[in-house]
Amino acid sequence: MGEFKVHRVRFFDYMPSAIRAMVFSTRTERLALARADGALEIFNFSDNYFQEKVLPGHDGRAVEALCWVGPRLFSAGLNGEITEYDLENLRPRYTVEAYGGPIWTISVNSQGTLLAVGCEDGTVKMFEVLKERIQFQRNLDRQKGRIISLSWHPSGTLIAAGMMDMIRIFDAETGRATHRLLVDRGAGASKSKEVVVWSIAFLSDHTIISSDSAGKVQIWDGLNGTLIRTHLITKWDVLALSVSQDESSLVAGTSEGTVVQFQFISSTVDRLDKDWVRTRTFKNHSHDVRALAHTETAVVSGGMDTQLVVRPLLDKVEKNTRESAMRKVSFPHRSLVCCAKKAGLLLFQFPDHLELWRLGESDGYGKLGGSLPVKRGPEKLIQLKRKGEDHICCSALSPCGGWLAYSTVTSFRLYRLQNGSISICKVSKLPKDLLPAHQLCFSTNSSKLFASSSNSSVVVVALNELECKYLGTLKAKYGCRQPVHQLSASDNGKWLATANTDCEVHVYNLDKLKLHCTVPVYGSCPTAMAIHPTTSNLVVVHADQQIFEYSLVKKEYTEWSRRLQKQGLHSMWLERDTPITHVTFNPKNPAHIIVHDMFMFCIIDKSLPLPEAKNVLYNQMALRSLPEPDRVLHSHGFKICKDFQHLLCVSLLEDHSLVVVERPLLDIVSQLPAPVRQKKFAT
Amino acid sequence: MNTNNSRCIAAVVKARSLREHRPANGSAGMQGGGRVRSRSLSVTMRRSAMTLQNNMAKNQRGEAAPSSRMTGRERQMGGFSLLLESSDDEGPEEVTFEDSKADARRSMKRALDTARREKELLKEKRRKRQELFQEQKKRKLLSAEVLEEIDSTKQEQSHVKAAEEEAEPEEVEGRKRNWKQNAARNLKGNYTVTTVKQSTLASSQLKAAEDFLHSRMYGPGSRRTTSNEMLSLENKMGKNKSAAVQFVKKNWACQKKAKAEKLKKTWIHMQQIPSS
Repeated sequence: MGEFKVHRVRFFDYMPSAIRAMVFSTRTERLALARADGALEIFNFSDNYFQEKVLPGHDGRAVEALCWVGPRLFSAGLNGEITEYDLENLRPRYTVEAYGGPIWTISVNSQGTLLAVGCEDGTVKMFEVLKERIQFQRNLDRQKGRIISLSWHPSGTLIAAGMMDMIRIFDAETGRATHRLLVDRGAGASKSKEVVVWSIAFLSDHTIISSDSAGKVQIWDGLNGTLIRTHLITKWDVLALSVSQDESSLVAGTSEGTVVQFQFISSTVDRLDKDWVRTRTFKNHSHDVRALAHTETAVVSGGMDTQLVVRPLLDKVEKNTRESAMRKVSFPHRSLVCCAKKAGLLLFQFPDHLELWRLGESDGYGKLGGSLPVKRGPEKLIQLKRKGEDHICCSALSPCGGWLAYSTVTSFRLYRLQNGSISICKVSKLPKDLLPAHQLCFSTNSSKLFASSSNSSVVVVALNELECKYLGTLKAKYGCRQPVHQLSASDNGKWLATANTDCEVHVYNLDKLKLHCTVPVYGSCPTAMAIHPTTSNLVVVHADQQIFEYSLVKKEYTEWSRRLQKQGLHSMWLERDTPITHVTFNPKNPAHIIVHDMFMFCIIDKSLPLPEAKNVLYNQMALRSLPEPDRVLHSHGFKICKDFQHLLCVSLLEDHSLVVVERPLLDIVSQLPAPVRQKKFAT
Repeated sequence: MNTNNSRCIAAVVKARSLREHRPANGSAGMQGGGRVRSRSLSVTMRRSAMTLQNNMAKNQRGEAAPSSRMTGRERQMGGFSLLLESSDDEGPEEVTFEDSKADARRSMKRALDTARREKELLKEKRRKRQELFQEQKKRKLLSAEVLEEIDSTKQEQSHVKAAEEEAEPEEVEGRKRNWKQNAARNLKGNYTVTTVKQSTLASSQLKAAEDFLHSRMYGPGSRRTTSNEMLSLENKMGKNKSAAVQFVKKNWACQKKAKAEKLKKTWIHMQQIPSS
């Protein structure tokens, strides 16, 4: 197989941002997530929970609530603006100022015609949803306190608003507040603090369910304005509520990190006296749960511990199958690390700056598994802060280490690095067509830069000493609207492969600057791809863990790929829950493909037999512990190594040493904000 | 509570004065003292105070002996007071209720007075320190102002002579003048002072809303702990028990460590020079 010298990199201080709000669209099976730094992420729940799109954040866009209106996504934030997003170009389409102070909540009626926002000044503002924009319609009766949460009745005639110390029910047509439901304050010390009704839900039988900062989930009769039942579920705040589509199940998220489920069932056999009964408690988070979504089969939760947890409900899915497994999304499904293979440099992408590091050096030879003495430690060469308020969308470093480029939603910057990457100077006079870039890629000889643009097209610019010239735009076939999220150039400079979120993979001929071929569409989105340097085979890995190898010269799947599809990938390979984010090759051995996901990296040797489905898929360490005859029996072409956790990037340098960028989850958790203090016996 | 204490103090005072007035007694007196010391002081004093007062009241009313309802302890305490009485040939000292009340009030006033004086002393100290800091700040600002003036005078070399001559004597005085007046002088040219980023009403409202959210979640009364403590507790209670997550604080005294490194390097360098 080969021995590698491994650079174990742990100096990438990647810190994800807390999850602030989420909303699920049943029609499109997409989950939209808003983070504390203003970034938005779209997850495709029908494609193995793949993170399809990431919209970069913005300073001062403090998103508090999200809302799907059909296929359109709206957000409202504490900056007082309602923003609609263009999901094909990954940027905000427009913003509308609500003029009510910070906006705490946004909600659309079931017909999809009116958008209600709750503001700091106590008004509920109604906006009409028109074809290309939204328009202010009217204010409902102004109240004395701030409106923290809103919920429409499914008929669209009533709105329940959660405020400080009370809940108000408005008539949506007249705008008058009809009922006032007073919420009890907490006991003891919290009696002097106002209780905040963090979340509210209005059901079709006029039941209102509210959750507040005193730890209660209360069930009210919306017609009479009376309290039916109180459930005290925690000593801290209950921050989020979500009701299922059929209104039979409800989940509440607390500051402790627990998610409590209530179900509308009857305690006896006869179905007449149904009541909301507390059923399950999930403790999947260590910090506050601030956002919840109840899909048909699962409960999705997210909060201050930055992880997205999808918990399928066992009464909706079959037990002990792949669908019933809990999924945790901790790292983004795209690469934040760019490795310059020839120069031994690493580029780390943060939302507000970029860091360029040179890898350390080590002499000497050690035995397998041992650590080598470091002769010269790694050093940070450049820290480049972004200009403007938009966060960095994508970045790239050329393999020779001489060019650095990054793009935000509004600007594009290219830098030339000289003197061994010590000095940096900005390249001005960039071609106008370079905005906006969703993905960047340098060619292997650093002479060209590829930037993906709108409508799945790619802009090609040539790089000279200190200037760059526009060469052309590679256009996909007509009708491709989705953004390109994967770009890969071949080593010989002849081919460029692109993949967009519509699962379309196009290959362009760079000599002629034209479309060469389109790979047959596979139902799952590509998560990583690369072109082999010698054989010019395109290897594509998809979100459902399938691997395909396509020959660009012959325009057909290779023989190995057909063999793999015929036998099928091993079930343990398919059951992995994090996608492959990087594919690379070994120059010394053309039969090797190196892939990695968050928990393992694997060298696929195409010359060795494929793993048998009935055998266990052992990783290298487990194989070594087996006795000799078993080892031969179980050896296969998928050499998995789990020595390094948790992986952000695995790359192979030109001098045949492996670079492994790790970010242990423990390091992230130890820097999170304060969790609640739970008193445990004997501590 | 305060009145109890004052009663205790009164009782202590009384007891002490009683003891002092009597000459050293025989074994009976010592026994009584020993018995008292074997119990907790506050209880004994309180009880003795109560019984003493009871006795005094009863003496005033003309009752002779303490009632039989007393508990054993009280009887012994009563015994204590009786002992005091019996150890001395004289009759018990008649201390009226008003006297002891006045005593109590006086001692309380004294205590309050000392507390107030201490507070005032602290306030004085704080005020003096604050003034010292202001003074230091002013001095610091002034030196920065002087540098600015030197810079500005360099730039103004190409200006009209009159302006230069004006600047010269003012520069000398600038050191003694108040920094506010210097700032006014600097605005003579075409200068405007603005903030780099205009803070709008929206951003201040955003900040206020974020502060509200932060105070509700992390403010006082939110009963929170640190991530480090939570992880350390998990290590302590988990299956494989291990040490706290941040057992050693690695980032303590960074500057001192850096200084030590530099010193070490220079020392090694110095060592190598004579040998080479």
